[in-house]
Amino acid sequence: MEFVDEIIETGGPILGSEHMETLRVCMQCGKCTGGCPSGRLTAIRTRKMILSALLNMRDEVLSSDELWLCTTCYTCYERCPRNVKVTDITRTIRNIAGREGYLAKSHRMAASYVIKTGHGVPINDAVKESRKKLGLSEIPPTTHAYKDALKGIQTLAKKTKFDELIDFDWETMNLKE
Amino acid sequence: MDKKTGVYICHCGLGGSTETEEILKKLPKGSIVKDSQYLCDITEQELLIKDINEKDLEQVVVACFASDVHRSIFKKVGDEVGFLPNLIKIEESDDVVEKIIAALDDLKPIKPEETEVDVNPSVLVIGAGIVGEQASLDIGDAGYKVYLVERRPNIGGHMAQLDKTFPTLDCASCIGTPKMVATGQHPNIELLTCSEVIEVSGHAGEFKVKVLRHPRYVDENECTGCGICVDNCPAVVASEFNLGVGPRKAIYIPFAQAIPLAAIRDPEHCLSCRMCEYVCDKKAIRFDQEEEIIEFEVGSILVTTGFELFNCDLRPELGYDKYDRVINALELERLCAPTGPTAGEILIHGKPPKNIVFVQCVGSRDKNVGNEYCSRVCCMYATKQCNLVREKVPDAKFTICYTDIRAFGKGHEEFYNRMQDEGVIYLRGIVSEVYRGENGMMKVRVENTLMVEPVELEADLVVLSAGLVAPADTPQLANMLNLDVGDDKFLAEAHVNIRPMETRVKGIYMAGCAQGPKDISDSVAQTSGAAAKATIPISFGKVKIGPEDEVKVVKETTATAAPIEKEVTG
Repeated sequence: MEFVDEIIETGGPILGSEHMETLRVCMQCGKCTGGCPSGRLTAIRTRKMILSALLNMRDEVLSSDELWLCTTCYTCYERCPRNVKVTDITRTIRNIAGREGYLAKSHRMAASYVIKTGHGVPINDAVKESRKKLGLSEIPPTTHAYKDALKGIQTLAKKTKFDELIDFDWETMNLKE
Repeated sequence: MDKKTGVYICHCGLGGSTETEEILKKLPKGSIVKDSQYLCDITEQELLIKDINEKDLEQVVVACFASDVHRSIFKKVGDEVGFLPNLIKIEESDDVVEKIIAALDDLKPIKPEETEVDVNPSVLVIGAGIVGEQASLDIGDAGYKVYLVERRPNIGGHMAQLDKTFPTLDCASCIGTPKMVATGQHPNIELLTCSEVIEVSGHAGEFKVKVLRHPRYVDENECTGCGICVDNCPAVVASEFNLGVGPRKAIYIPFAQAIPLAAIRDPEHCLSCRMCEYVCDKKAIRFDQEEEIIEFEVGSILVTTGFELFNCDLRPELGYDKYDRVINALELERLCAPTGPTAGEILIHGKPPKNIVFVQCVGSRDKNVGNEYCSRVCCMYATKQCNLVREKVPDAKFTICYTDIRAFGKGHEEFYNRMQDEGVIYLRGIVSEVYRGENGMMKVRVENTLMVEPVELEADLVVLSAGLVAPADTPQLANMLNLDVGDDKFLAEAHVNIRPMETRVKGIYMAGCAQGPKDISDSVAQTSGAAAKATIPISFGKVKIGPEDEVKVVKETTATAAPIEKEVTG
């Protein structure tokens, strides 16, 4: 299967195939790259990534570091003159890359927090302070407040092999390596 | 379904023959099914007539690719056998057998019931930009009467707002004004400004037209355009003709060369001090003028309603509504024009701009705002504007940020080459956003796609090359005339390749940007063609019409409230 078809097929069941098919009609105008807040500081070149996908450069795209530099802010997605669903396509490519063992360390790290705490970004003192100021309970009614629920999340992680995907070590409760 | 039926499948557009046997099985006894390669060919049609006569066929179905276009081709068959074949439009993706069988279930006989009627030797032209003027001149020169209806107080349209035209850098006034003057003076052209067509009925050869004429509050025949009323009017508002760059009075002449050269009073802003009335030597001011309905008949109608400029606010990231250093291309045109509000002096915050960035494809090639099409003029007008500004500011630097340069017209590539040679930088990439830097200058963020590098350009003037869109009330106009509107929201032609100036209604034609964006060269070429089309039935004197050619009256007016000139900016 061509890489471009693989991307569309992978994202289709979740995002809809019409949504994913927009990948094919990129006209290479660069509106995405020109306004990418990440690309201003990092090496991500959104249009080039889309073009590489269209040219079926599977290995280059999946192994690239820049794939993980998108912050999913959806600026490109909002502005694209051909309505290419750029951010969702990027996320789908990441799913394929994840399956192939290309998951970036930073993303595995965030994922490990989901297993450890139930949150990709666990609560910290600053957030607690803000919550108090807003008149909310200091601890949100999530796994932070209900420790039993965390057990459920961990069971899910095992059942779905999410732990294997990110190379999670249950003994050290951290990433392997 | 018991009639002896002939089914003819014309397969040149369908990409191959089909299962004729399968269709035949489902037809009454004595029917025939034939696969034909070129049914539009006269010999094939003679065979068709022979079949009908010999086999006593009671009805005939022709399944073909472009049935809309081919209806008239089978006229000869109708004349010979007394009924017309029913055409079924089949496309490659269709199941041919299924579609034909389904159509046969509900087949109504078509009698060739055309009648011949006399043609009124006059034409209604709607819209008096360069396209409406040229058509009116051509039709007038052919010796026929023209009613030229224009909603604004003057003719000339957008071309009158331009400084120069591409690719030859002709002065737009120098080549446009003679056309306006000729239109205003032509003995066969009746010019109705401040007017809108509000109802059309009848059919080709004899359309009945109702026009609503808004009051000008000035007697057009008495006013000499001396401007003394304007000089003495105390009420000042922004000039629509100059897109708000510069003022006008409440009684005003939109621009110096306006045709008709007569003042118009804007009742919304008038203070009713009646100073104009007091100073006018000719006693031409008419405060009591009221709107009137004018009715007449014409043989043909030509729609030349043009375009509006894309509203740049729909792309908020470009900062058009936020920053006064971001302007649209038509505003720059007014700044460059010697007839403009600054008499051609280009000053941005009191200084001539030195670093100018053009943003292409604003509202064109942009599904996000609903305009999938290319506006066809922006690449060339931006290229031209670099030249216009350079004449006034010799040391200015220009960067045109583009998606693809489309220089397809006569002399366009050469002009593009010339401006590159003169130092204009063409940077391939669509501008993603514009914002103000700390020094007050604009920052333009764009990817240099050929270098795969996002860059930030500094500019003291950002020009948005706004695309062309259909006038906002095109749907109402289409409704009134029973025409179709295309996906691009412009009026739909009968066939884009071979009937581009005809509409679905016999006797109603169109030209210029009413059909879709095009430059002046193409618009003028098309309008002379459309003028010829519109005069064909007139010069022949008679036209054949059927019941389907009747225009149904739609009780919904397209008329807008005064002040009329508000429409200019779009």
